[in-house]
Amino acid sequence: MPSIQSTLGEDEGIAEELAESQRQISIAEFFEKNKHMLGFDSGARGLVTAVKEAVDNALDATEEAGILPDIYVEIDDEGDYYTLIVEDNGPGITKEQVPKVFGKLLYGSRFHAREQSRGQQGIGISAAVLYSQLTSGKPAKITSRTKGSAEAEYFELIIDTDENEPEIKNSGTTSWDRTHGTRIELEMEANMRARSQLLKYMQHTAVVNPHARLTFKEPSMDEPRQYERATDELPAETEEIRPHPHGVELGTVLKMLAATDSHSVSGFVQEEFTRVGRKTADSILDNFRDRHFGREAAWKPPQKHEKSDLARAVAEAVSNKSKDATAAFGDEVAEAIVGRNRLAHHELVELVAETAKSVGDDHGETFGDTVQENAVEAAWEQLTDDRVGDLYQLVDKATSTRKDDKTVRGLAERLAKRFEKGRERDRATHDELREYVDRAADQTEEYDDATIGDTARENVVMEVWNTMTTVPDAVPKVREFVDDRDMASDLLEAMKQTDIISPPTNCLSPITDDLVEAGLKKEFDADFYAASTRDADVHGGDPFIVEAGIAYGGELEADGQADVLRFANRVPLVYQRGACATTDVVKSIGWRNYNLSQPGGSGIPNGPAVIMVHVASTNVPFTSESKDAVANVPEIEDEIELAIREAARELKSYLNKRKSLEKRKKKQNVIASILPEMAEKLADVTGQEKPRYEDALARIMNNVLVEREVEDGTVRLVVENNSGTNEDLEITDIVSAEPRNLSDGATAVDMDGEWFVKWSPTVESGDEVALEYEVEGDASFDVSVEGIEDPKLTVNQ
Amino acid sequence: MSADNEAKAQEKLIDLAAEFYDQFDRGEIPEMSVPTRTKSNIVFDEDEEVWVYGDRESTRSANSVRGARKLLKAIYTIDFLSEQLEEDRSSTLRELYYLSESWDVDEAQFSSQDESNQLVEDLEIVSEVTREDFHMRPEESGATIMGPLHLREQTRRGEREIHCQEDVGEGGYQIPNNPDTIEFLDNDADFVLCVETGGMRDRLVENGFDEEYNTIIVHLKGQPARATRRITKRLHDELDLPVTVFADGDPWSYRIFSSVAYGSIKSAHLSEYLATPEAQFIGIQPEDIVEYDLPTDPLSDSDINALESELEDPRFQTDYWEEQIEIQLDIEKKSEQQSLASHGLDFVTETYLPERLTEMGVL
Repeated sequence: MPSIQSTLGEDEGIAEELAESQRQISIAEFFEKNKHMLGFDSGARGLVTAVKEAVDNALDATEEAGILPDIYVEIDDEGDYYTLIVEDNGPGITKEQVPKVFGKLLYGSRFHAREQSRGQQGIGISAAVLYSQLTSGKPAKITSRTKGSAEAEYFELIIDTDENEPEIKNSGTTSWDRTHGTRIELEMEANMRARSQLLKYMQHTAVVNPHARLTFKEPSMDEPRQYERATDELPAETEEIRPHPHGVELGTVLKMLAATDSHSVSGFVQEEFTRVGRKTADSILDNFRDRHFGREAAWKPPQKHEKSDLARAVAEAVSNKSKDATAAFGDEVAEAIVGRNRLAHHELVELVAETAKSVGDDHGETFGDTVQENAVEAAWEQLTDDRVGDLYQLVDKATSTRKDDKTVRGLAERLAKRFEKGRERDRATHDELREYVDRAADQTEEYDDATIGDTARENVVMEVWNTMTTVPDAVPKVREFVDDRDMASDLLEAMKQTDIISPPTNCLSPITDDLVEAGLKKEFDADFYAASTRDADVHGGDPFIVEAGIAYGGELEADGQADVLRFANRVPLVYQRGACATTDVVKSIGWRNYNLSQPGGSGIPNGPAVIMVHVASTNVPFTSESKDAVANVPEIEDEIELAIREAARELKSYLNKRKSLEKRKKKQNVIASILPEMAEKLADVTGQEKPRYEDALARIMNNVLVEREVEDGTVRLVVENNSGTNEDLEITDIVSAEPRNLSDGATAVDMDGEWFVKWSPTVESGDEVALEYEVEGDASFDVSVEGIEDPKLTVNQ
Repeated sequence: MSADNEAKAQEKLIDLAAEFYDQFDRGEIPEMSVPTRTKSNIVFDEDEEVWVYGDRESTRSANSVRGARKLLKAIYTIDFLSEQLEEDRSSTLRELYYLSESWDVDEAQFSSQDESNQLVEDLEIVSEVTREDFHMRPEESGATIMGPLHLREQTRRGEREIHCQEDVGEGGYQIPNNPDTIEFLDNDADFVLCVETGGMRDRLVENGFDEEYNTIIVHLKGQPARATRRITKRLHDELDLPVTVFADGDPWSYRIFSSVAYGSIKSAHLSEYLATPEAQFIGIQPEDIVEYDLPTDPLSDSDINALESELEDPRFQTDYWEEQIEIQLDIEKKSEQQSLASHGLDFVTETYLPERLTEMGVL
């Protein structure tokens, strides 16, 4: 490049020369240079990201069409390159759309929609195409068949990175065994170093998509691995919602203002936002007025005994009217004013107008605008005559009792002066009022040697602001907002300030706690599962739902830390674990409270556990474009914590129960081995038969003891509850002969010559129940007892 | 010891086992109650004038793992003792502990000798049969007697008649584990002198104190074994001889005296069989330390604790002992018996003992 010095001497201007090399760079070109931002920074990672994007797309496509997903993923080692094939049974993509979907970045139906979906930006799959093309130089091969079409469409395409446009290299029709669906084949430079991440990704996808059947094959597998469905129920369909007033930014508002059909702001907020009706719109407008126009100070009217002065002043302001009418007008205005609690300027105007009309009607005269204006002016002078006294009371109320009278008076006087010198009609916005108070307070501090702290100042502002009234000025029309950033900003602030109910949640599709549990159950072989789904909450106007699940024990890895599974909108998050809000929350929880070991009392707990967290939102805040980690948004973190704790509480009670059962079992094992030894030795010493020790054993264990006694054709099952709680039992005795005269509402069912006699007794703590029936001749029995843990049960047949 | 006794002991043991058996059969949880063996649970028996166990009991019940193990061990021990009696053999407490290693059930084996000793005591209490009648011996054999006493001992190898001065060497007559196998034939004794340490006992024998004063010298060998206490009691009861105790001047020696006179906490169930309430303490008394100007050692912290604990011990709740202990706590000193040698080797036999015994009204 020529040096600037050398070009300065040339005739042609440097700006023109530079402009020649300046041109718009296409989005595709940009990402070509920044592929790490999308998760394609290495061969290993690129493959994971490509699989992820393709599978996300396939799941979205099938669900949208109401089809239970059946997705096939295959990775082949082609020597220098790897081939990735992803097939789905979705509705297929029309011939016209295929190139755009796969060959154009930022193309998609999602970006503007407020609805939960996996992909959001429309860059995922086309970025994979781009990556494949950049590393292998080969086009993407896409096959798609829409339902009912005889043949599938086949394309080979590349992305023209200069133009961000697809370029079709080859196309035609082909036959395909799927009746509908889409298949994409990408060749890329890659490696399998991230095999475990890939397997985890597939497994975790299976957990959060229990309605999907996934098949996965990679080069080291002989047979493809199947992830079966746990449910045939598709996730609830989501509905797109309008933005929530709390979740928009200024730029968006400006765009929406420019695009709306509404003329009035009231119409605009009601039409374009969710959860805004007439009443909410009015609140927003009032808040806007307060910000935009400011409020008017409302002053206490003069005392009753000053009424005549007031009436005289008003009457004096009136000219050219009959004496009677003038006096009546003065009296009535004064009367009305004194009857008010506080009065702002616009209220005074209104009051005078009303009185003018009624007195005018009575006297057959007209009090015109000029007269009214004069009357208002005279009355306003009276009203604002003693701002100090009024403010003194407010300041006194707002400040602590320790402030001495001098300080309060000084502050009130200076504040009154601010109003006097301030805007007409004693108008001020909240910010201006704060400014008044600050300056008045500063001066009071300076001259009266007082201290007025921040809290005191705020209290004064609040006290005064609350007496001020919103003005009735008309809010500008929408078109005026479009070019006025400040006004639009006031509107945005007004919306944020207004209480508005949370957005509807039908735009979200949580997995639901039952299916979270089912998903964990099918992919993890554990002893215990718990799941929780929180109610929807809002962050920045976007509704979100957090779900958590915990699996514990069984075949899970007992050594080292628990597995933390992170999901956003049903997509597993594989990388950047440490940067994720989910991980932070898991680490911050005191797991020892939930009976998991946690060295040092913080961090990921140890033990055979899987902790999964799913954040579903119309807009999951990620830390980066590659969507690997959920950002630390306090509202979301709070909900994650609550969801995890909910599930963890169940885990705790399970672990507690297990611990006490283990203890009981241990005791039982020891005592149950000692007692027979005692009995045997006693038989030795006493020279008798071995004594029956079972009853004693049952008592020791606080057990439920079921004993059979058979006597003269009467079978008696004695249930003795030695535990501290009442027990609801299901007792089934299988008899080889027909039982008669069943006691206690038992039922008998004949099953091929065996009778199932069934009771459902409730045996109170420390009580005993005898269940009886009769049977003829020799019979064999087999009793089984349900409704009580095995370690607590002793059966003596 | 008669065959009768053995049969009775065996019967009592089997009765105990039978009680467990019946508890099982009734569907009850087997249990065994024994008096709590602590200082706070001994009371003075006005009739016998000895200290025996109070009403507080501890229960060994099979409803806890510990209790079940204890009972299992008890039953195994009963079986062992019963067979031992059957075969007319005997064994030591230590042998019982080691023998349990051979039992087929691990849970029945003792984990320490304290445990087996304690269990045998439990069985003694519950069955009301003494350990000697179970043919259980303590590890160390009894101490010795030297004095003008003629007796007959029933040994495994036949009867032996022994005179405790003429038929024995300088070591004296060895008290058997079960002194009830002894029959007193004749004596010339005026009183019994129990001596704590071997050194002092040898000094008295060398100086011929037993001959000069017609004394039966019983060597206690520290805290006296049951056999020693038993024979002391029999000498007092059957021969009507006054019993005196000569020990060191420290709290541990006072306990030796109290176990001779009032019974020990561990064997309070046998107090009426072992204790000699009429026994008198010669010294070294704390006041002797001052009076005879004896060489002393300062009291250690554990000595002070022991003295203070004795002040609360029901067995020491007498004016005499309270006064002596207070004196000792005051002077903060203790002396050994053998410190009397500071006034010459004969001082003890020529001056101290005659003076003290006269003072006590024994001489």
